[in-house]
Amino acid sequence: MAAPATVIRGSATGRKMDGVGYLFVAFFAVPFLIFNILPVLFGAYVAFTEWSIIGTPNWVALDNFREAFGDEWARLAFWNILFYGLIIVPGVTVVGLFAALFVNKRYPFYAFARTMFFAPTVVSATVIGLVWVWMLDTQFGLVNQYLGFFGVSPIPWLTSIEWSLIGVSIASIWWDLGLAFVLFLAALQDIPRELTEAAVVDGATRPQRLRYVILPHVRAVLSMVITLQLISTLRIFSQVYVMTNGGPAGSSSSPIHYIYSVAIVRMEFGYASAVAIMLFAVIVVLTIAHRLLLRERA
Amino acid sequence: MMAGRPDLGARFRRYLGSRGMEPVDVPIWLIGTLVVLVWAAPFVWMVSTSFKFPGDVMTHDIEWLPRRATIDNYIRVFEYPVVRWGINSIVQAVASTTLCVIFGAMAGYALARLRFPGRAAIFAVFLASLMIPVEVSVIPMLLAFIKVGWASSYQALILPTIANVFSVYIFRQFFLGFPAELEEAARMDGAGPFRLFWSVAFPLARAPMIATAVIVFTLNWNNFLWPLLVVFDEDMKTLPVGIAAFAPVVGSNTQLEGFSVAMAGVTVLSVPSLALFFFLQRYFIEGISTGSVKQ
Repeated sequence: MAAPATVIRGSATGRKMDGVGYLFVAFFAVPFLIFNILPVLFGAYVAFTEWSIIGTPNWVALDNFREAFGDEWARLAFWNILFYGLIIVPGVTVVGLFAALFVNKRYPFYAFARTMFFAPTVVSATVIGLVWVWMLDTQFGLVNQYLGFFGVSPIPWLTSIEWSLIGVSIASIWWDLGLAFVLFLAALQDIPRELTEAAVVDGATRPQRLRYVILPHVRAVLSMVITLQLISTLRIFSQVYVMTNGGPAGSSSSPIHYIYSVAIVRMEFGYASAVAIMLFAVIVVLTIAHRLLLRERA
Repeated sequence: MMAGRPDLGARFRRYLGSRGMEPVDVPIWLIGTLVVLVWAAPFVWMVSTSFKFPGDVMTHDIEWLPRRATIDNYIRVFEYPVVRWGINSIVQAVASTTLCVIFGAMAGYALARLRFPGRAAIFAVFLASLMIPVEVSVIPMLLAFIKVGWASSYQALILPTIANVFSVYIFRQFFLGFPAELEEAARMDGAGPFRLFWSVAFPLARAPMIATAVIVFTLNWNNFLWPLLVVFDEDMKTLPVGIAAFAPVVGSNTQLEGFSVAMAGVTVLSVPSLALFFFLQRYFIEGISTGSVKQ
């Protein structure tokens, strides 16, 4: 192992070879194989079968996938994540960047702001869901009451086909902001002070500083935030389950919500696994695209 | 500026200057503060609603501070098996976090500080597995747990959560930068790899230990999909799954309770993770920025 000396020095034990290392790793690797890897392989098999919990699996080859392509509820769920993505990803990115720029300026009470922007991320989907069902209540919800001051008539955020996806997205942006915010903040704090000061001395205006000094420095993090958020939005489930249970009429459902209802309500495990693998394929394609994009920049 | 107070503008400027601000910062600060308040509002509204009488909740008055307060909602919450759910959640989260930290530290230490063939490949496999969304393995895992007869059990809640690649990553990062001199003294005394790890390296890994623990604990405390799927028994529910049923949506058993009980329920649920976050904020933020900025 001729790795650079600064990264990996000699072994801690001074020996050439620590066979015991395998044992150290095994404590983690055994549950990892059983609970992280095996289920995926098993799931790949189940997807090609017809299987309710009783009885034996029945090999049906590609039937489940064929069914999924013709299933309008599945199609609706996959369409919906496109719209979730179009709302939540830009929302989290833009607000997260703004929040990070704001906190990084160290205005009065910036520590409170830092705490608040991250706090929703640490509470569970149940909290997000119930609090926002209340916030977005059509008649008495806080959001509609304040919008009412501006003459906006009450919006049925979670109870109408047109709005339900947007209502869930608003709650999701509130919930998900923390990660993007922290990553942006870390990137901003890495910008050398001399650089911004030099820009001030050179008479750069604020928008110029943002455009030519700050944004180029957060570009790598920006693409990472977008991809992480995109992947997590593709997996949207808990808040959907708590807030609307996918309704009304599937208007706020998501692939994982659909997988859940196929497996739990209809007990069709084979079909549920097939839809899960289709979602997995979408995520893998996007993750690889992300890696390629990052490599291009580096 | 007002007549008679000619120095007000200058004083204002001086005040801003002392904070490193220019006049143009004021509107930015105001807009930002508004966003911060919007971000805080749902929490404040949650707590405020939880102390209101049910009759004061569904009204058109926006009462941020309840005119009259009651703890009845909290009493109503505890009429559900909330204590039992809380115990389940604690058992699950504590067991999982402890195992995650120990196994993660051992694997992270070996991958950073011990020499054996295939070390780099093993780590690469761990990292690559992050691409697999847990949701894909959830259905087959559920089938397996039902077949084994472990549905609605602590094994079912705990086992699938103990192999967390994040903890290996955090510990490996830490041990890569671990000063070799610390190990040398123990090595001279003839300590083997187990003693080096247990009595030298692990006790000094406080920072990654806390970072991993707070994040893994929070993840587990909030875990939703898996406990929702694998628990069929009311008594084995975890807190988030149990309290989710408080949603006063059409068809739920708490529809008539209204939002005051639901808000008391989610306040109870969010206090542990929020408290952990407020006191150990630094570790959350450090852990997350180290954990995400890989490669």
